[in-house]
Amino acid sequence: MKLINSYRSLRPEEGPLQSAHRILPFVGLAILTIVFAATSRADAAAVSNSAVEAKLAYCQDCHGPLGQGYRGFFPIPRLAGQQIEYLDNQLRAFVERRRPNPIMSNVAHVLSPDMITALATKFRDFNPKPLGGGPKELVAKGERIFQDGVPEANVAACAACHGPKALGYEQIPRLAGQLYRYIIKELTNWSKERGQNPAKLDTSFIMAPVAHSLTRSQVDAVAAYLSDLK
Amino acid sequence: MPTRPTLRQAATGPLSEGRGRRIVKIVGLQVALPLAILAIAFATAPARAKDDATAVSKQALEAKIKYCEVCHGQSGQGFQGYYPIPRLAGQQPEYIKNQLEAFDERRRVNPIMFNVAHVLSPEMQTALATDFNKLNPKPFGGGQKDLVVTGKKIFEEGIANTDVPPCASCHGPEAKGDGQFPRLAGQLPDYVFKKLTNWSKERGQDPAKPDTSAIMEPIAHGLTEPQIKAVAAYLSYLQ
Repeated sequence: MKLINSYRSLRPEEGPLQSAHRILPFVGLAILTIVFAATSRADAAAVSNSAVEAKLAYCQDCHGPLGQGYRGFFPIPRLAGQQIEYLDNQLRAFVERRRPNPIMSNVAHVLSPDMITALATKFRDFNPKPLGGGPKELVAKGERIFQDGVPEANVAACAACHGPKALGYEQIPRLAGQLYRYIIKELTNWSKERGQNPAKLDTSFIMAPVAHSLTRSQVDAVAAYLSDLK
Repeated sequence: MPTRPTLRQAATGPLSEGRGRRIVKIVGLQVALPLAILAIAFATAPARAKDDATAVSKQALEAKIKYCEVCHGQSGQGFQGYYPIPRLAGQQPEYIKNQLEAFDERRRVNPIMFNVAHVLSPEMQTALATDFNKLNPKPFGGGQKDLVVTGKKIFEEGIANTDVPPCASCHGPEAKGDGQFPRLAGQLPDYVFKKLTNWSKERGQDPAKPDTSAIMEPIAHGLTEPQIKAVAAYLSYLQ
């Protein structure tokens, strides 16, 4: 993405190039421009449609035909509607062992950056119904915790970062429609699953105190609320 | 809003006691006795409130700071969540306290911060505000670099032909603020933009309690969106 951006920001320089008196620096710039243009074109074309479709089908085996998630032996998370930056960051986290997960580490290891972008874009555009599955009687309590936090217990409002509809923002994940069991597993296990590579600190540290400050019944309630949220 | 008004009532203990005495003369002892008990309860409350000032335990404060930092950043430098979450580092304690009260009194409408502020005792507010004032992380940055020069000019000189005064005249030449005037240096650009384009819908929302936010209103209105973006860009890199 950054590559494409810098290529675009270089482009306007092509106009004044002709009329400029001192041509030499511009020649360098022009070469750079061409190099950038060539790389980004080549990369984009490097992921063929059929390769993306094949890889997508492979992801869908476990994450559900529309990325709605799946209750396998493990709760397999919903990817539909997920933020592209978040998916990208997590796939890199599996490779870099920031997030140890033997299965996903192997999955992520063979993905090129362009394939990751292509897959993340596909999943973001899916919009299936939430899988649900949380106890209905916990939803109201969960909604309150999500929107307001638990100020007297120093639990921050989830909505401040994840948004009032839990749709996320860039590296902050969408939570709406996420699997009940998956949310419980992540929140009760945060500091054993995330940010595990001391040499490569990541944004997961933000959630650590929140995960710790929630009681188990509060975690269950938030998970129930989110599991049914469109 | 049960918690805070009760505390404030408590602070006016002697007055309640006085009123209690006057009522004793009018009504019979039967009513006066429970009233007297109430009056004593109120009278002893200020002593407790005074204890509270020293009674914000280090542990409670640390826990609350951690809670603030989840959203406002590990060193109070601000954070781009779903909303731009403002920098608190180096902020004026008076400003922070005034804003926390504003959230609680709905002068400044923000459901999340209302809940946050509602459970804070005045002593905790002071302790938190003092703590954030001492932090000095690098600015979050993120403003449009090519607008910085324009932004600096507006900040320092204002825009004479549209009656926009220099921001520096109240916020200081280095945008560090003073008392109730907030520090703006290092503030998140999206936050500055959102506030200035939305001023009269977010601030001074209780007609019964006009506050200092009225000062900024004509200025926010006088600025165009490109001018606001420029000022925001300048401030976002300011140490």
